[in-house]
Amino acid sequence: MDLFLQTLLNGLLIGGVIATFTIAFQLTFGVLHVIDFAVGGWVVLGGYLGYYIVAGLGLDGFVAIPVAFVLFGAIGYLIGPILYNVRNSRTARPELMALALTFGLFTLLRGGMLTAWGFNTRTVATALSGESLMVGPVTVPLIRVAAALFAVMIAGGLFVFLYRTRYGLAIRATAENRHNAALMGVNIRRLSANVYGLYAGITAMAGVLMGAIYSVNPESGLRYTLFAFFVAVLAGLGSVGGAVVAALLLGVVEAYVATYVGSSYSLLAIFATLFLVLLISPRGILRRGL
Amino acid sequence: MALTYRSFSRRRFLGGSAVAVTAGALGMPFVHTARAQAATFKAGVITSLSGENILGGNLTKRGYDLWADTVNEKGGVEVAGERFKVEMFYGDDQSNPATGADAAERLIVQNEVDVLFGPYTSGSTIAVQPICQKYQVPMISGSAESPNVWKAKPEFNFGIIPSVDTTSGLSLGVLAKLSNPAAKTVAVIGVNEPFSKETGEGFRDGVEAAGLELVAYELVPPEGDLTPVISKIAALNPDVVAVGGHEEPLINVVKTSKSLNFRPKALIMHYGVTNPAFAEALGADADGTTGVAVWLPTVPYKDDVFGTAQEFTAMAQKKSGVEPDYTEAGCAASGLVLGDALKRLGKKPALTPEDRVALKDAIAETDIQTFYGPIKFEKEGNHYHDNIQPVPVLIQIQGGKTVAVGPKEAAAAPFTYPLPAWK
Repeated sequence: MDLFLQTLLNGLLIGGVIATFTIAFQLTFGVLHVIDFAVGGWVVLGGYLGYYIVAGLGLDGFVAIPVAFVLFGAIGYLIGPILYNVRNSRTARPELMALALTFGLFTLLRGGMLTAWGFNTRTVATALSGESLMVGPVTVPLIRVAAALFAVMIAGGLFVFLYRTRYGLAIRATAENRHNAALMGVNIRRLSANVYGLYAGITAMAGVLMGAIYSVNPESGLRYTLFAFFVAVLAGLGSVGGAVVAALLLGVVEAYVATYVGSSYSLLAIFATLFLVLLISPRGILRRGL
Repeated sequence: MALTYRSFSRRRFLGGSAVAVTAGALGMPFVHTARAQAATFKAGVITSLSGENILGGNLTKRGYDLWADTVNEKGGVEVAGERFKVEMFYGDDQSNPATGADAAERLIVQNEVDVLFGPYTSGSTIAVQPICQKYQVPMISGSAESPNVWKAKPEFNFGIIPSVDTTSGLSLGVLAKLSNPAAKTVAVIGVNEPFSKETGEGFRDGVEAAGLELVAYELVPPEGDLTPVISKIAALNPDVVAVGGHEEPLINVVKTSKSLNFRPKALIMHYGVTNPAFAEALGADADGTTGVAVWLPTVPYKDDVFGTAQEFTAMAQKKSGVEPDYTEAGCAASGLVLGDALKRLGKKPALTPEDRVALKDAIAETDIQTFYGPIKFEKEGNHYHDNIQPVPVLIQIQGGKTVAVGPKEAAAAPFTYPLPAWK
């Protein structure tokens, strides 16, 4: 029974960790209609920022979180209009061109990091790294709890922003119908830049946490891109709320299968879940996807 | 309109011809120079220069390059009283075996290399072997440790490092003997990929001979999260946890164990621990981790090219800034094997296809002493063409440094057992 509870907690926390870099990914798809392959690149960049803040300045890894948001948010803000132009260009299949662009961006980020920072695996030290709390028979790893809380805060914050502010209304309107939103006076170009900046900033913040929980090297980005994509498909592309539910589901499935069936079957179980959900509900787990 | 087009076309044609003729004339001396310099031995390195095994890939490259640079500084490889420089070509397997096979083919067909230096991972090595066979080009592998590489009886591939099944199981026995109070139970984790999985199997198969009891054997996917499997093992509370994997999963095993406040009495890993990047990434948390090495900078061997093991270490450290581990040493030693075989073969570059086959036979007859230790390849059995001469040493990270702790005759420091609880 102790192991059962521990597994449940492990699963929920794995889900929470995955959710951190998937939520904003969903928002970008909703607004820009782009599947951003570069998501793993932003995660790894955040991780490196965390590492350099700890190793170079001797500060705690958590300090890197707001820095990551500002720095990579600004970079994302500059990249957003390019992506918007490609996505709305008059070429044939602009959605594929945009996908290729983000793939190129991902490759560029990966190669750039490799050249600039080398291939050694780094980790981000934080006040909570390696710390745990015993609650009854269950060991609670605090850094993962911090990541899960971060995911909840970001999801909650985005919810309030999207549903309680005028700008959120403009974002939702754009997601629903770009042309009508533009006719109502929304500056779609600037809005796209803002959303991509918001997304890059949030994802890089999640990256600092990934560096603290796991480790970071220029090659680990692909894994995050894949998981973000799994969760996005399971959640229904574009559904922010669905992303949290889907991430938690995948985490719990992975944990129980790894513990009670065997770790080698965990990816099989994840794919089976994905397949079943797509079969039964192609618009995602909450049926809210596009 | 048509006239404009034609005149434009003619102008372009004339201009283009002028450029081509000038370039041709200018290019001629370079062509001659290139031909004049052709008397070098060409060696191709296939390894992971991108992808998840990039760290190890660069480590192997460093080892191979160190040999080439050292021997070129001395004027090159000596053949029949003359010296010939070695030219290195590189192929990136992108941490993917199939890409490794393509890269090998490219090195052989396009760059016309005389010999190959093998990949970092066993998976790629296994994929490249048939290419070596197809083109009859010998390969010297300074890194591959999976027994499956040698079980395939590769005619053209030779391994410097002993297969992991000869080392990981034995090391558990050494650990069990050193442990006080005696260790009784062990859990094994293997990352599900070539080498890592076989290391795990090596540990698993060595459990009985070490007088221990196996309480869990888990294969984990390289992309998976480790909390479920560590929680499961923590619940069984084994004395020893043995892990087969490359550096990134090893780092994550330690981080995840600490975050779940689980510390076995001994944590043994195979490769990766000896790589300074491991201790650097984990800081104080790396302390106490045990590993297996077939070479250490302190071994008492030497040769004519690198000098003693200590001199080799100083040379490598000067070049890359980090202390070399046994894979880097094994790769550098691969070059020594090539140099010795070329000398015995007595053929000058460029080698003909028949020469390459003769080179393979010369490599098979290798029996040399190097800074890395004795090198001699098996001629039959499950370790065909592997050098199983080196004796594994149990090492432990103590105060951020790698020190030999067993067997007793090789120990430089006492073995820390049991490990203290996490702070």
